[in-house]
Amino acid sequence: MSFEMLRMAIEALLANKIRTLLSMLGIIIGVSTVIAVVGIGAGAQQDVADQYKNLSVTSIIVLESRGQSVTTASKISAEDVNTIMSNEQYIDTATAAVSGDMQVSYGRASNQFTIFGALPNQFEISNLNLVIGELYTEEDNDNRARVAVLGSTIVEELFDGDPESAIGETINVGAKTLEVIGTLEETGTTMGQFLSYDDSIYIPYSTAEKSILGTGTRIMLTVLADNLDVIDLAFEELGLILREAHNLKADKDDDFRLLNAGSIIGAAQSTASTMTILLTSVAAIVLLVSGVGIMNVMFVTVAERTKEIGVAKAIGGKQSDILMQFLLESIILSIIGGVIGIGVGQAILPLVEKFANMTVVASVLGVVIAFSFSVIVGIFFGFYPALKASRLDPVDALRSE
Amino acid sequence: MPENILIHLENIHKSYFLSNGIEVPILKGLDLTVNKGEFLVIMGESGGGKSTLLNILGCLHPLTSGSYHMKGENIGTVRDDYTLAFIRNKLIGFVFQQFNLLSKSTALKNVALPALYAGSPKHEREENAAKILKSLGLEDRIHHKPTELSGGQQQRVAIARSLVNDPEIILADEPTGALDTKSGKEVMKIFKDLNEKGKTIIMVTHEPAIATYGDRIIFLRDGQIIDQDYKLPKL
Ligand SMILES: Nc1ncnc2c1ncn2[C@@H]1O[C@H](COP(=O)(O)OP(=O)(O)OP(=O)(O)O)[C@@H](O)[C@H]1O
Ligand SMILES: [Mg+2]
Repeated sequence: MSFEMLRMAIEALLANKIRTLLSMLGIIIGVSTVIAVVGIGAGAQQDVADQYKNLSVTSIIVLESRGQSVTTASKISAEDVNTIMSNEQYIDTATAAVSGDMQVSYGRASNQFTIFGALPNQFEISNLNLVIGELYTEEDNDNRARVAVLGSTIVEELFDGDPESAIGETINVGAKTLEVIGTLEETGTTMGQFLSYDDSIYIPYSTAEKSILGTGTRIMLTVLADNLDVIDLAFEELGLILREAHNLKADKDDDFRLLNAGSIIGAAQSTASTMTILLTSVAAIVLLVSGVGIMNVMFVTVAERTKEIGVAKAIGGKQSDILMQFLLESIILSIIGGVIGIGVGQAILPLVEKFANMTVVASVLGVVIAFSFSVIVGIFFGFYPALKASRLDPVDALRSE
Repeated sequence: MPENILIHLENIHKSYFLSNGIEVPILKGLDLTVNKGEFLVIMGESGGGKSTLLNILGCLHPLTSGSYHMKGENIGTVRDDYTLAFIRNKLIGFVFQQFNLLSKSTALKNVALPALYAGSPKHEREENAAKILKSLGLEDRIHHKPTELSGGQQQRVAIARSLVNDPEIILADEPTGALDTKSGKEVMKIFKDLNEKGKTIIMVTHEPAIATYGDRIIFLRDGQIIDQDYKLPKL
């Protein structure tokens, strides 16, 4: 193969600009679709990652068994935290929180929010950071202090988004009052389906349990394993400690549920990646169809240039020369189509982001996949017409008009 | 086999097979010897198999049976594309009635094409192509495309193409068939000249005036050579 053959292939393509463009169109659409789709898929993955940013992969969440609540038979309590920490081998920290929805008002503004009664170490475990003010302490918890730390949505709704104006103010929760001592940064995340960090009002655990929350309260423990490697051991250990703490006999079922954060995140991620794979397959089919288009065009080209093929053979062109000549044309076709498709795809991505309101992430992987796929399509679908051309009988070819 | 024998055909048969499987015999037991440096003319009735014979000589067709020796080597049984392409490329130059130039390439590119297939580097093949075009009086037509050339000029480009790899044999199938008398004569002068410089030329024609340029005429009828040294009737 030489530069001259490349030049001849390009000339042949230029000789039929409209046809060349039309056959490229399929590749362009296919490649830009792949890029858009991979971008959207990567965006969905990114969404998942963002959503669970505050949930450490080493965390294990302990919930009541289904159908139970604190007021009935639940055995989970803040006491368990102490039991866990004095018996653990693979666990780093543990915390307990109760939560319930209550009517909250300040001045004329009023709405239903989640009251989240948490131990002071919850803030660290969940990566919650102050904007202004301070967090409550162990002492506040022991004293059942009437203090509150606000999530960003609360500040938005009750204090017009001004954190400074919230500090020192008194809000009404049900019939009780609480003093605002701090506000939190926006996280934009949730802890699975259990709660949204931004939509919660954080108050000391004992305050919530003893004087604020009534019936319908949920309790939850958050436990961090020492590290990712021991998460399974920690999971098992936690189950044993809790069974023993709750005096469960061997034939009794657990009175709690354990959720592994890794598996919650994993499930969400695999949903996102399933979507990516699905969409990419659709795009791949588009590319495949465009390959059939290329094959069609190459057959027409070969038919049109039969005489030329006969001449090439008569003057000493080998089958491999002729094969290469036509194959080059389809490869160039698909490479140029691929490059244009990449450009179009990159241009589409921001539009998708804007008009479809989706997170998209332009990925190198998408470009690589799309481009190599288009080249493969060019080779694969160009090969058969080129092979037919190379195997034409020279005399028959020369005789054709 | 004597030194000066270039081509030797013995009992050549060639049949076409129609798509329904019926065999159509075209050449029916044909013997031919061509000496080195000979200018052989093939004449005969239309449909008598002249082109078929020339295509066999040019290794464009496989034989149905018989033997084909070139320079003492049996090439009639060669079927592999690489060797056949080599023979067509290096040992034989083909000239067609309809010129068969690539219409989108310049004269220079057309002439250089066989050298491209031979693998010679660009500057070498184009230099050589330009030299041959010049020797055929086309120095100011080098960058013209076939559509910008007269028939006679196109045929000269085609002859230049057949010469670019310096083959021993030139095969020409009615090279003047599409030309007017004057251009036809010019082309024949070129062939005569090449023949004098040592090229072996085998040419098909049905024009007696053109046939006179040859050293010897063979006459084909119904798939056989009925005369190995045909004499044109005196005018
Ligand atoms: N592919 C083919 N299949 C069947 N028959 C064919 C085929 N090619 C040629 N023939 C037949 O072979 C015969 C010889 O053809 P050829 O072209 O060799 O004749 P020719 O002597 O060159 O004639 P002309 O002077 O008209 O060019 C013709 O009768 C033609 O119909
Ligand atoms: Mg003929």
